[in-house]
Amino acid sequence: MKKQNLFKKIAASLLMTAVLCTGFGETAFAEEIPYDTYNYNYREDIVYTPAAYVPEGSVTGLSVGTTDFKEPRDLCVAPDGLIYVADTGNNRIVVLNETMTDTVRVIDGFDRNGTADTFNQPYGVCVSENMELYIADSMNKRIVVLTPEGEFIKIIDNPQSEILEDGFDFTPLKVTVDYADRVYVVAKNTFEGIMVFESSGDFTGYFGTIEVKITLWEKFWRKIASKEERSNQLLYIPTEFTGIDVDSGGFIYASNIDADGIQAVRRLNPQGKDVIQKGENGNVGGDIRTAIYGKYGGPSEIIDVVYREKGIYSLLDRKRGRIFTYDKEGNLLYVFGGLGSQEGTFTTPVAIEYIGDQIIVLDAYYGAILKFTATEYGKLINEAVGLRYDGDETEAIDKWEEVLRLDENNELANTGIGKAYLTAGENRLAMRYLKLGMNRKYYSIAWKRYRNEILAANLSYILSGIILLIIVWNIYKRWKRKKKGITKEGGLL
Amino acid sequence: MKELFSKDKWKFAFYTVSHPADGFYEIRHRERGSVPIAIFLVILFSLSFSINRMSASFIVNDIDPRNVNALTELIAVLILYLLVCVGNWSITCLMEGEGRLKDIAIAIGYAMIPIIVCFTIGTIFSQFVAQNEGAFYWMIIGVGIAYGLMMMLIGIMQVHNYTLGKTLITIFLTFVAMFIIIFIVLLLSDLINQVYQFFYSIYQELIFRA
Repeated sequence: MKKQNLFKKIAASLLMTAVLCTGFGETAFAEEIPYDTYNYNYREDIVYTPAAYVPEGSVTGLSVGTTDFKEPRDLCVAPDGLIYVADTGNNRIVVLNETMTDTVRVIDGFDRNGTADTFNQPYGVCVSENMELYIADSMNKRIVVLTPEGEFIKIIDNPQSEILEDGFDFTPLKVTVDYADRVYVVAKNTFEGIMVFESSGDFTGYFGTIEVKITLWEKFWRKIASKEERSNQLLYIPTEFTGIDVDSGGFIYASNIDADGIQAVRRLNPQGKDVIQKGENGNVGGDIRTAIYGKYGGPSEIIDVVYREKGIYSLLDRKRGRIFTYDKEGNLLYVFGGLGSQEGTFTTPVAIEYIGDQIIVLDAYYGAILKFTATEYGKLINEAVGLRYDGDETEAIDKWEEVLRLDENNELANTGIGKAYLTAGENRLAMRYLKLGMNRKYYSIAWKRYRNEILAANLSYILSGIILLIIVWNIYKRWKRKKKGITKEGGLL
Repeated sequence: MKELFSKDKWKFAFYTVSHPADGFYEIRHRERGSVPIAIFLVILFSLSFSINRMSASFIVNDIDPRNVNALTELIAVLILYLLVCVGNWSITCLMEGEGRLKDIAIAIGYAMIPIIVCFTIGTIFSQFVAQNEGAFYWMIIGVGIAYGLMMMLIGIMQVHNYTLGKTLITIFLTFVAMFIIIFIVLLLSDLINQVYQFFYSIYQELIFRA
């Protein structure tokens, strides 16, 4: 009778879970989103997560009341919230309002001390903190500096230096400016790094050179190759930077296409040294698991980077159209986006920017800006990471718990909660969460403290137990000796 | 069977651990060893290995427990054991080794004792260590494996009455022999498969025509 009851209970609970599971499946609107949102876990397996960002429509030239964009190449969000689009094919800069519903102005030329001047393939655009508009006017081989209204300020061109070879062709592609008005330029075919100009317009040198990696094996082959063979081989030249951004502290984030898929972004300090933090798996290069061959195989090709806030930055991959978001410590937060022709997917993504809870991506082929809005899940992660960045780990715990409610296996959330418990002295709980978060280092610390706790609490029992054992052992020995008839020999005591 | 698992034989297995040279000599010349015990020890080794992989503490263990399958590991270890024994035997037969297949099997099986003990102790010990004490865990495991390998070396040396140099050469050749065996087995299985396929297609042809 009792057994039957148990069976009924089990069956009922199973049915209940089934119903609940399917119910939850329907509430998530995963089918409407044209891409998967995922992350990599500790074992580097793909884990699908709730959507972090969802498509929120797109903006074309027509929709903002001007002609269509033609091969636009760069985007910039100015400190006052206006959005600057480098409409490369139409040789103009289009300024959109904060909500991207209307055109504020179109800059297609400027008055240079009395003479009218125009752009030729403006490839990059950037607005500095002091509200000066920097335009990488690529085919005119110069950087044009204007006021946001389009008044001429200055021109940076024809860099002069001993380190530049004769007849150096200066074709600026991307530009960014730090708080001290130093200008950082990614120019075409400059493998030495980012070109840095002082605010006066003088070229000061290269910055953040990517070192060439030659394996021992390649060195060996070059050694035994003949001169003709060597000249036929590929040159070992470093990769070019593809996109740059600057954070509030003046650190430069520069993306590049890494053939190994390990490091596609650098965080350069004012001396040009890479100070990026890589996460547990040492990877800040986009996808970890990829197909090897085919059009969509191989490592991610990161085309642009945007520094967001509180140490969070996002990378844009042109190969599979994905957006990778990392925190300051190099932990991958979420991956979303994809190629395709549906709304919310890209064909040729070229630039990425962010406005508050929105990420905007420029697609050169469509000539459109695609908007993505953070979901509750995405917002919670951003906020929790932000709180940790500020040092409020205990405050972050609520956010992380909310994240866990949406995504049970989130390792960052588990680690975050674990660390908070560790600070609070709840070592047992900390151990549980840190193990789920696969954080060996902090788990070890929690375990050490927990072990000391147990030892301190039970020290009297342990010591008396040892003494008891010694006494028992001696009695046993004496008893055994007596049995054998030996009486004279020393014992342990 | 009972004789082969007798208390005396067990005691001698442990004597061999502490006195490898003498122990393996007596195994060869005075029949003190037991093949069933050796096989049993190999099975125990496989178990201790799987348990270590599965449940050594999270702090020192980076293995995904979902990837551990004790049964496949047991089968793999037993096949490897068979392969090493047969490989060594086939080489030493040609190189004036005095050992029989039985002696080789015992020498390798008994050499598992320190490995089993250290893996088990290590697994238990790992439950108590923190990350900076992990070195002790690795030391325990390392000592066990080193001692086991040393016993294996002395065992093969004693059983065949070889010098150290000759032992090392035969061990190298044993690996070559193992590869040849694997190669032949694969070749054979492929050929048999082809013959089977041939007859099967004839059978199918007959069925369809009829």
